[in-house]
Amino acid sequence: MGYEREAGGRGMSYLELLNLAAPEAIIALAALAVLAADMFALRELELHFRLAISAMISCVGCVAAIGWMLALPEHGNVMGGIFIVDPLGQLVKIGLLVLTLFTILISLESNFTVHAGEYFALVLLATAGMMFLVSTADVLMIFISLELTSLSLYMLTAFDKRDVQSAEAALKYFLFGSMSAAFTLFGLSLLYGLSGSTSLEQIAASIRGPRLDPLLVLALVMTVIGLGFKVAAAPFHLWAPDVYQGAPAPSAAFIASGSKVAGFFVLARVMATGFKGAEGSGAWHGYLPGWVPLLAVLAGLSMVVGNFAALVQTSVRRLLAYSAIAHAGYMLIGVLAYGGSGLASLLYYSLTYGLTTLGAFGVVAVVQQQTGGDRLSDFAGLSRRSPGLAICMMIFILSLAGIPPLAGFVGKFYMFSEVLRPGSPGMGLLWLVVLAIALSAVSLYYYLQVLKQIFVAPSPGAGTWVSVAPVTQQVVLGALALAVLLLGCFPGWLVQRLAGAMAPG
Amino acid sequence: MMMDWTARNLWLIPVLPLLAAGLSALARRRHRRFSAGLAIGSMAVALLLACAAFATAVRHSGTELSRQVVNFRWFELGDGWVRLGWVLDPLTAMMLVMVCLVGLLIFIYSVGYMAHDENFGRFFCFLSLFASAMLGLVIANSLLLFFICWEVVGLTSYLLIGFWYHKPSAAAAAKKAFITTRIGDLAFLIGIVWLYGQAGTLLFYDAGQGCLDKPALAGLATQITSLGVVVPTAIALLIFCGAVGKSGQLPLHVWLPDAMEGPTPVSALIHAATMVAAGVFLVARVYPLMALTPAGSHSGAAALVVIAWVGALTAVFAASIAVAQTDIKRILAYSTVSQLGFMMLGLGVGGVAVGMFHLITHAFFKALLFMGAGSVIHGCHEEQDVRRMGGLRKFMPVTFATYAIGMMALSGVPIFFSGFWSKDEILHAAHAWSMSRWPFYLGVLGALMTAFYMTRQMCFVFFGKCRLALRQTPASEQGSVALPGIPAPEHPQVEHPAEPHESPALMTMPLAVLAFFTVTLGFLGTPAWPWVQSFLEGEHTALNVAGLWRPGVLLVMLISTVVAFTGIGLGYWLYGRDPLDLQQTDVLERRWPNLFTLLRRKYYVDEIYEWTFVGLNAWWATACDWLDRWVWEGAVELIAALVVGIGWVDRVLDEQVVNRWFDETCRSLSTSGGLLSRFQDGRVQKYLRVLGLALVVLVLLLIWGCRAS
Repeated sequence: MGYEREAGGRGMSYLELLNLAAPEAIIALAALAVLAADMFALRELELHFRLAISAMISCVGCVAAIGWMLALPEHGNVMGGIFIVDPLGQLVKIGLLVLTLFTILISLESNFTVHAGEYFALVLLATAGMMFLVSTADVLMIFISLELTSLSLYMLTAFDKRDVQSAEAALKYFLFGSMSAAFTLFGLSLLYGLSGSTSLEQIAASIRGPRLDPLLVLALVMTVIGLGFKVAAAPFHLWAPDVYQGAPAPSAAFIASGSKVAGFFVLARVMATGFKGAEGSGAWHGYLPGWVPLLAVLAGLSMVVGNFAALVQTSVRRLLAYSAIAHAGYMLIGVLAYGGSGLASLLYYSLTYGLTTLGAFGVVAVVQQQTGGDRLSDFAGLSRRSPGLAICMMIFILSLAGIPPLAGFVGKFYMFSEVLRPGSPGMGLLWLVVLAIALSAVSLYYYLQVLKQIFVAPSPGAGTWVSVAPVTQQVVLGALALAVLLLGCFPGWLVQRLAGAMAPG
Repeated sequence: MMMDWTARNLWLIPVLPLLAAGLSALARRRHRRFSAGLAIGSMAVALLLACAAFATAVRHSGTELSRQVVNFRWFELGDGWVRLGWVLDPLTAMMLVMVCLVGLLIFIYSVGYMAHDENFGRFFCFLSLFASAMLGLVIANSLLLFFICWEVVGLTSYLLIGFWYHKPSAAAAAKKAFITTRIGDLAFLIGIVWLYGQAGTLLFYDAGQGCLDKPALAGLATQITSLGVVVPTAIALLIFCGAVGKSGQLPLHVWLPDAMEGPTPVSALIHAATMVAAGVFLVARVYPLMALTPAGSHSGAAALVVIAWVGALTAVFAASIAVAQTDIKRILAYSTVSQLGFMMLGLGVGGVAVGMFHLITHAFFKALLFMGAGSVIHGCHEEQDVRRMGGLRKFMPVTFATYAIGMMALSGVPIFFSGFWSKDEILHAAHAWSMSRWPFYLGVLGALMTAFYMTRQMCFVFFGKCRLALRQTPASEQGSVALPGIPAPEHPQVEHPAEPHESPALMTMPLAVLAFFTVTLGFLGTPAWPWVQSFLEGEHTALNVAGLWRPGVLLVMLISTVVAFTGIGLGYWLYGRDPLDLQQTDVLERRWPNLFTLLRRKYYVDEIYEWTFVGLNAWWATACDWLDRWVWEGAVELIAALVVGIGWVDRVLDEQVVNRWFDETCRSLSTSGGLLSRFQDGRVQKYLRVLGLALVVLVLLLIWGCRAS
């Protein structure tokens, strides 16, 4: 990659750094503004207004950051990869901000907390963490950003203080997360020890050799543990079902969408850049140790565990959690096709998956507010109670199942064909793709069970529930459904932008 | 070139009856007056417009405006447009007036004739539709539009022949007419397609681009088919096949006599005056194509030779059959076939004017004869056998007088009757024909027989004593059964008032009008003042009595006069002096029983067709049926059984093997899901233990790989 400005050495100006990191700064400022506004101005107001105003400030922050990036496309590389600004990173950041925006919007009608300012500030801080995560190629910076994101998300998980489940989920999440963070830190320090540098490129340069050092293997596995935890890949997924079920719905949605996009981006970058030369091979009869077979095993495991465990779930949230694990498996396949358009396919998949799962969680949130539960039976007869919501949910579920012409299908197709593309490092991974497709068929069963409840099952005691979803929710969910549909019908729009951003220079 | 209003709005003439047909189709059955009034009103307006068009054509006769064409685009086909259009020229104008006038009179007549029919409205709907199609055919400037109208005309003919469809004979006759003409139409269609392929257009006249304009004809004349026939001749003959079917020429004449099953006004309008003349009109319309000689050849146009021969043979053939018929309408039907043969002969040897003049005069007197016959049938309580009539002169004076005029015109009684002049014209042209003299001799023979059979009919119907009462006797009933070819009476009646009666004025008035035209029209085409001929050919004419004395003219006139009087005299000598009784055999039959039977059985043409074409067809159908029933169906049954067997095996496999396996798999998948999720028991200690375990296992996996490699 040729950067416009090589701000090497010690003598870099802070103004320039600020200029490059302006979007992150805007988000951080917005977080502070929300906090301040809620603390000083909004205390006396009704919760409804506090939520609305805080959300508005947050939205303004997000939109401003997006606008900044669209208006002033920057290129820059600060201190040998500690902070990188390039078109691809900016595009991913824009995607993250859009997901954050939708998360904020579906939180508008929530009633799980009275601390509106803190809630939105944490969402924004997590977003800032993710943004830093995607704009660095330095292990130290990666760890700090990961921690910023994770800590914010722990708190978001615990935000429903009246609900013991929320607290329990947060505790598990925290314990599991800090354990894996410890592993990651250990792994990263081993890397530093091996190479004497924190920069991914220099690490890659120093580890290149004919054979893998056992220490490097240890470092690799430990690094993968931390990132695998972030993206909820098996066997580091164990936290996910509990968290998705226990966390407030918008938090769960955010964990499942934005955090996942950032996690996969950084995983792909660490593997492809930092462990360049240690790929190995995951081909059926050509096993060579390296990160490719490692991720392939994780991918296969994730798909199997996610899809099978989802079959027996009765809680829609847990079902979505296992579905998320399965999707993490699919996306790991995308990581294996890391070169060029392989990354584009991964990003397309993760972004559209983020939108879809956000929408699905949004619907779950509405239904939960109406019925007080998220069991499959709570969705019975939704199509008669709230047809608009039912149609949105149908689009989300079918997209998750990978039915054309929705985005989920295009993403899967694009990604699998990228893996099998001649010249891709994942070329020998036909077995994995076959497994993925077979398990997609299995997944249809549990996805369709949700739809069966919505459209076929009779509504028990119709009329006892408030049948009208809040207008803002309906509009937001409708917009998400439309986006999923349009991205499925016209995938070229996003794919071309991703490919364009990835083009060198 | 300024176009006249009438030319631009010529389309109104066919569209008005079409509207009338559409509206009366929507009317309820009891709205009889509405339907009849609509039909007659539309026809009257059409007649006015036709007269205006005629006046326009007369005014522009001989100028460059004598042919005014309006073409329009219909739809896009390939690179070009399919175009239709209409044309106003002398030929069109003359036919328009004739069709409208005869049509109007027959419409009026029908009100009286059909008064007792419950499907009165339907009848007028069909009649209007027919008139519309016929007029459309007349004004068409595109062979395609011509063909469309031609087919609609055929359809209405079918509908009207089978108007009393509850009679099996009528239904059969309708089918016969439709199928027989369809044989000719097939060839016609092939000719059209071929012409389109060669000329690239089906418009007759299109500012020099039409297929009858000189450049296209010149282009066609140079082409020769693989068989050595010139392309235009082949096309012309194919088109002529259509005319043969429609105009009842040999060998497709068989449908026309049977078509008399329809109501008599239908016979008069469609099967005497107009539709059957459409074939003649078609030949006249595409005459330039017919008359085209191959480039560099000096012999006559081959197509015209064929037309002339077919016409001459048909004329004699049908006239000879008419001699031995006893059904009043059948005699007229064969007479029509014969006269159509004359027209074709005229076209073949003389040209458009000769044939068309006879067409026009024949339309009037044949309509007159048919309507007279209808009046007779009506007056005699649906009796059609001439042997059971007789002496009607006294009972039906008006009918008798007008019928006599028609008969004399048809027989060719000189000077005062139009038939004489038009037939004389044809004979004259045949006499002058350079190819062969035989058509002339055949024509004279036909004329002789025409006079003879018409006199015979007159004697049977109007002279002698009335034999109508004899019908009551059982013997005559048996005789009627024994007589072949005579259809059952149109309305089987319970009681028989013996006295024949004159028809109402509504029916006799049109007769009188037609009789008037029958007499006067002839003077428009005498050799002394050949106005019709010059009008059609776009020349000016003046009265020139000397034209009568030109060499050949007088001779032929004398011959035809002698022939006509010979025929009438012969007929009267045989039948008029001593009118026959029903029980007596025919005079001719006593003399030449075999020949008479041959004629009465119409040369056994129907039987021959029955044995050959129909038989072959039936045999083929039986064979196909047998094949279908035993071979193909057997194969189908076998395959079906096979498929059912496979399906059964498939089902067993599906239920017993696949489903069971699938169910088992699904169950085990579910179970495994349950096991996996049981693993998720919520204990975070266990989770973390898994984390550590995973680390160890993954590291070992990679290390083992390193050792192995």
